[in-house]
Amino acid sequence: MEETQEKKITHNEDDKLMIDHSYDGIQELDNRPPPWIMWLFYITVIWSALYGGYYHWFWQEEVSPQESEYQAELLAATEKQEKLKASNPEKYSFDETKITLFSEAADLDAGKALYAAKGCVACHGNLGEGNAVGPNLTDEAWLNGNTPADVFKVIKHGNPAKGMMAYKDQMTNDEIQKLTSWILVSLKGSNPPNAKAPQGN
Amino acid sequence: MEQQTFYYDNKIVKLFAYATILWGVVGLLVGLIAALQLAFPIFNFNLSYVTFGRIRPIHTNAIIFAFVGNAIFTGAYYSIQRLLKARMFNDFLSKFNFWGWQFIIVSAAVTFALGYTTGKEYAELEWPIDLMVALVWVAFGVNMIGTIIKRREQHIYVAIWFYLASFLAVAILHVVNSIEIPVHFMKSYIVYAGVQDAVVQWWYGHNAVAFFLTTPYLGLMYYFLPKAANRPVYSYRLSIVHFWALIFIYMWAGPHHLLYQALPDWAQSLGVTFSVMLIAPSWGGMVNGLMTLRGAWDKVRDSAILKFMVVAVTGYGMSTFEGPLLSLKNVNALSHFTDWTIAHVHIGGLAWNGFLAFGMLYWLIPKLFRTKLYSDKQANIHFWLGTLGILFYAVPLYWAAFTQTLMWKEFTAEGILAYPNFMETVTQLIPMYITRVLGGTLYFTGAILMVYNLIKTIQSGSIEENEEAHAPALAETSKLRLAGETIHRWLERKPVQFTIWIAIAVIVGGAVEIIPMMMIKSNVPTIESVKPYTPLELEGRDIYVREGCYTCHSQMVRPFRSETERYGEYSKVGEFVYDHPYQWGSRRMGPDLARSGVVTGKMYKTDSWHFNHMLDPRKMVKNSMMPAYPWLIKDDLSTDYTAKKISVMQTLGVPYPEGYAEKAVDDLKKQAETIAAGLKANGIDVSPSKEIIALIAYIQRLGVDITKQAGEVKAETEEVVIDFTPLTDAESVTAGEAVYVKNCVACHGAAGNIDGTGLVGPALFDTIYIHGNTPNDVFKVTSEGVPAKGMQAWKHLLPKKELDQVVSFVLNYKK
Repeated sequence: MEETQEKKITHNEDDKLMIDHSYDGIQELDNRPPPWIMWLFYITVIWSALYGGYYHWFWQEEVSPQESEYQAELLAATEKQEKLKASNPEKYSFDETKITLFSEAADLDAGKALYAAKGCVACHGNLGEGNAVGPNLTDEAWLNGNTPADVFKVIKHGNPAKGMMAYKDQMTNDEIQKLTSWILVSLKGSNPPNAKAPQGN
Repeated sequence: MEQQTFYYDNKIVKLFAYATILWGVVGLLVGLIAALQLAFPIFNFNLSYVTFGRIRPIHTNAIIFAFVGNAIFTGAYYSIQRLLKARMFNDFLSKFNFWGWQFIIVSAAVTFALGYTTGKEYAELEWPIDLMVALVWVAFGVNMIGTIIKRREQHIYVAIWFYLASFLAVAILHVVNSIEIPVHFMKSYIVYAGVQDAVVQWWYGHNAVAFFLTTPYLGLMYYFLPKAANRPVYSYRLSIVHFWALIFIYMWAGPHHLLYQALPDWAQSLGVTFSVMLIAPSWGGMVNGLMTLRGAWDKVRDSAILKFMVVAVTGYGMSTFEGPLLSLKNVNALSHFTDWTIAHVHIGGLAWNGFLAFGMLYWLIPKLFRTKLYSDKQANIHFWLGTLGILFYAVPLYWAAFTQTLMWKEFTAEGILAYPNFMETVTQLIPMYITRVLGGTLYFTGAILMVYNLIKTIQSGSIEENEEAHAPALAETSKLRLAGETIHRWLERKPVQFTIWIAIAVIVGGAVEIIPMMMIKSNVPTIESVKPYTPLELEGRDIYVREGCYTCHSQMVRPFRSETERYGEYSKVGEFVYDHPYQWGSRRMGPDLARSGVVTGKMYKTDSWHFNHMLDPRKMVKNSMMPAYPWLIKDDLSTDYTAKKISVMQTLGVPYPEGYAEKAVDDLKKQAETIAAGLKANGIDVSPSKEIIALIAYIQRLGVDITKQAGEVKAETEEVVIDFTPLTDAESVTAGEAVYVKNCVACHGAAGNIDGTGLVGPALFDTIYIHGNTPNDVFKVTSEGVPAKGMQAWKHLLPKKELDQVVSFVLNYKK
């Protein structure tokens, strides 16, 4: 049976069958490995040597390549921010101690949308009524002060020890101002059902 | 020469083929469930045994070790006998190999569902099953080597080289990565900690891909592809070059799983460069496979078997190009922790491993049963279903990966994260996850069609369990090289020398990476503020491992602005020195947790938030895909092994004080009561004995140590001087009440409030005290504060006299 199988095996005229290579009827050809794949191999080996040389033997900086990249990334971001501030000082200089409340409906609606989008509902309830985690926002009692600047501050910088996280990495000043406005103008005094007992003063 | 008569053992091949088919279907089905869970969390069923964290290891292990494992044994047992012209060395070993392997698979599925896991990817099996694996694997090796020794073929063929390398490498990998100290029958701690564990784990993990999913499969390819195509192998010399290059280089590439992570630079660079050098050796296999089909492409058009094999080999070529690409640090910075990795392994798994197994089965089953395939048409339909399935699986996942990584890294013009809420970056992926389910369903349907087709084929034929064969006995040849014989040709008839060279080739890479990581201290710089876990945190960590939290949450902040802005300070090597096992994770379905306990950090959530979140994630995070964990709130934490766990940790070098094991449970209870009392103050009534308390304790510890400043560490170790003067006269107590009303009511409520409703701080006028109830305890917490829990240090705000008065008031009131 094996012989008939071997007879059936066809191969190109140029290929040389290796006479003594037959395993369960499988034969092998005496072809050279394709040169491109050998070159690919040599190139990757050379590239690897250069890579190791560059990042290890010839690396001059005090910090590692990885740390150096990180520092450069931070520096680039800071420079970009400074440029931005310089380009429009009015817009980007912001006095957190003097917060005015918006009263336009569009701004208040934007504040309301932020309340839902940023996950405030998880701790302060859908209607600001408070729950097991966060206090009621609709009553007159405030744990961290009730002026616009106080509310702005606690949203922006948080009070982590009490579980209020800082939103400074999640919202711009303008957004926080809108949210503050909505809370103090619309939400406060809304008297929702199941409200949590007042906390603070 | 005299012909000898012998019999091939076809029965063992048949058994392994049946097991391949069975576990293939099971593994794909479990994968489909896992995909559904990610698209629709309701498929977690609120049931511990089938939550994603336990289903995922069942899926990966079922595919790798059950489906692919049995396919390897099927092909190896069939081809080894024929390539060596001999029956398997020992029938008992064959049977032991088969039944032992199936027993391991069933034990694995059951123990994973029950939550017994070591928490190391693709090595999750607990120690008794690890021992079984070692035993059965060695039985396979002995059986194969025995057959090689009693062979009737002078030279060993390239397929056998690959089988030998696979056997040796997997044995070494498995043993080194499973050195564990048992706590009890189903719990152990790995001896390596932190970065060392990570390096060993990915040396193993990467080479499980190499020497379980790749090299044995190349062996199968070198036998079944020329057989099915009836063509000679394209290049014997290419076989030699790519075999040795592949097995040598593969072993070095593991650290590419840990790029930009808390791993020394030199190890990362080895991971990068050796991965890049793997392209050509891997493609050598693909080229030899595809070029073997030269002049036979017309057959490919007609034969489903060859179509499966061509796509398999092409898929292999694609994965082995993509792998090195993902190992470049700049690509990895984007790809890691996203679905890119998942898509990558599924190109390898579905195309290379799946399709080659299918092609092999379609060729082998009719051969074994001496009949024709029941339906060529159905096999062709299977091929197209499977191919479409791969596309529908992979394309959406690549899309998901790019989407998510770009969202993670995007900043607004003002310099804040554009998508700071992690959930936004997940919600975006749900449509892709639904499409992935469709892809998986197509692939699964094709496999079911194959099962039907093969059953019909089996029914129409009959197997010759012991097939008669003839070959001349092995002729004596010189031990030395003959004239004109190349060194390699000589080595091919010297299997012992051949095996020794393989062993050398596979050991070098691992040794060069792992030994320095263990021996050279500068690789793991210690950080003074990093201390061992408390007993409760340790138990909580074990729950974290048990529930497979690492399948979705990383604990590894990489040094990128987008990560340090989102999570906090990037992770350092020295942070993990007490982590047995390390839990860095490999995919972020949920946010990184490395900094979740840092009160002033970006990831901090209160105990009550965690409690509510575990009970119902969607109540706290809209659209969350995390499973709910109601049983953590219902089940009591077992403290039976707490003392043992502490002493095992001591054996591993974790510096608990001498004799601490005996005190561990007391400390555990004390800490649990503190947390439960804190929850109670927030209106959550839960017994301190529940598992959830331990898990919260662990989560709140993460990242805490590293954030402590050097000064704080010192302050903590210094004894706080408590200078309390108890006052009992009525005047002082009244003065104390005035101080109380002025400063304390906001958080602790009016005097006499004993149920604590609506309060931020705990009620003070009941009998439960979070920080101890002796006069000194109360004074200490008042004067020093507990900032992490929200209690201020009043020593800077009140004169000593007023402190004495207010504490006396509280204590007297209590009486």
